[in-house]
Amino acid sequence: MKLAVYRKKSPWILHYNAGGCNGCDIEILACLGPKYDIERFGMINSGNPKQSDILLVTGPVTKRSRERLVEVYAQMPEPKVVVSCGACACTGGVFRGMYNCEGGIDQYIPVDVYVCGCGSRPEQIIDGVIKALDILERKTLELEVSVRLKKVPVEENGQVNRREVAAKIIHTQHTYE
Amino acid sequence: MGKQYEIPLGAQHISLLEPLHFKFTTENEKIISTDANVYYVHRGIEEACCTKFKFRQVSFVVGRVCGLCSISHSTAYSQVAEKLVNIEAPLRAKYLRMLVIELDRIHSHLLCLSHVAENAGFEALFMKTMQYREFSMEMLEAVCGNRIQYDFSIVGGVARDLKAEVAGMILQRLKTFLPQLDELVDIFQNNWTLSLKNKGAGAITREAAMRLNVVGPFARAAGLAIDVRNETEDLLPWKEVGFEMVTDTTGDVYARNMVRLRELYISIRIIRNIIASLPESALVTETKAFPDGEAVVRLEAPRGELFYYAKGNKTQMLERLKIKAPTFSNVAAMVEAFTGNEYGSAPAIIASYDPCLSCTSR
Repeated sequence: MKLAVYRKKSPWILHYNAGGCNGCDIEILACLGPKYDIERFGMINSGNPKQSDILLVTGPVTKRSRERLVEVYAQMPEPKVVVSCGACACTGGVFRGMYNCEGGIDQYIPVDVYVCGCGSRPEQIIDGVIKALDILERKTLELEVSVRLKKVPVEENGQVNRREVAAKIIHTQHTYE
Repeated sequence: MGKQYEIPLGAQHISLLEPLHFKFTTENEKIISTDANVYYVHRGIEEACCTKFKFRQVSFVVGRVCGLCSISHSTAYSQVAEKLVNIEAPLRAKYLRMLVIELDRIHSHLLCLSHVAENAGFEALFMKTMQYREFSMEMLEAVCGNRIQYDFSIVGGVARDLKAEVAGMILQRLKTFLPQLDELVDIFQNNWTLSLKNKGAGAITREAAMRLNVVGPFARAAGLAIDVRNETEDLLPWKEVGFEMVTDTTGDVYARNMVRLRELYISIRIIRNIIASLPESALVTETKAFPDGEAVVRLEAPRGELFYYAKGNKTQMLERLKIKAPTFSNVAAMVEAFTGNEYGSAPAIIASYDPCLSCTSR
């Protein structure tokens, strides 16, 4: 299975609006249209978090949509990349400080690429998603390094994080380029 | 009496641009009752407009209420603020506002039509409509400087002038757009496959529309002649520039598509008339007064009647700002029009309502 190749050549996108003004969402829709045609990079807008690789989030996180945002993020399989679209998804933008808004999605989920602008132009969104592809490739490589465990790692609180353990062993034993 | 199932749709769904939750109670795939939940996007803009921003800044903030009809929001706010400080915008500014509102209507209606086509499973028509829609985005960028979020209307007038070469470009692009629009009308009217999905789906009667207080293309498709452009003349001179009412009778998805398409012809005519008869005057009326008293403004956004209420108290901050968006009036009818339809056609029906939840919940 050439899963890594397929993942790089055809990443699937999940789009979630966390309470924005629709501006960036219609620009994402314009990206799917013929003029900007994001499908030439193999990207398809998928509605299912369990089949998606890239999460495109727009909007400042409103208090009602934040549980859905975290839930959607948690349902996506590893490796996954989060792209925040627009000024209000990055920092809260003009909505920062309003009583029902949080300032930006990075307070709740880790963000890999920030796309600026109010609203983000389709060129910017495509650029951000292409950057996300490189990050996706790097994350895939990190996951697929084979590691031999010398002894059973025991953490203090009983939680074993496979990726942290692997990183520790790689760091001490051999360097992975 | 079969077994009843509850099927949720949303808040995250491929056919939805925004978080919107419907709970359908179905019986043999027929929807028998619906429960709508539209307040996922509440941000608290009205409160912030009265505490965080000065009244001249608010016209940029209310533009961020909705990305699709941001010019309608900023124009309606500018008009209500002009009433509060007792000035009137220059005639050229009024004409330019109408020009951008109509360009925005073209892009909003075409987006809605493409969304209906996509949700009905007609991907090729989605692509075609999105391709034809790009001209309006380019023209909006040429006129206002940004593809969305125009920040064009300010208190007292407009922020930018229309250059002669931009006006020529708009006329030229309208000439190429007109045959494309004819082609779209032909497909939406005569395509047999699409008519199977659209005709009779999501229908609402004229009496129900009147009882549930429907506005916008939703009401006009059901036969109600409701349009603010037909009723008010004092703020924007719509009838001078060739406005005409468009109505249909059946009130289903097909009728809503046709109303939107026929309104595009009216929009094109209005744009041509505005460019042909653009009056010469200043762009902004200056004043140093502070808002005082109460005022109300109605404006026809692409989705229907938009209502603004503002109250000032002779300071920089407004005392109260109230926004009633068109979709808020339509929610009750949206829930009712689902009844009796198949669950499979629900996404296309939702798209044909053209709901704007960020307007509704602000």
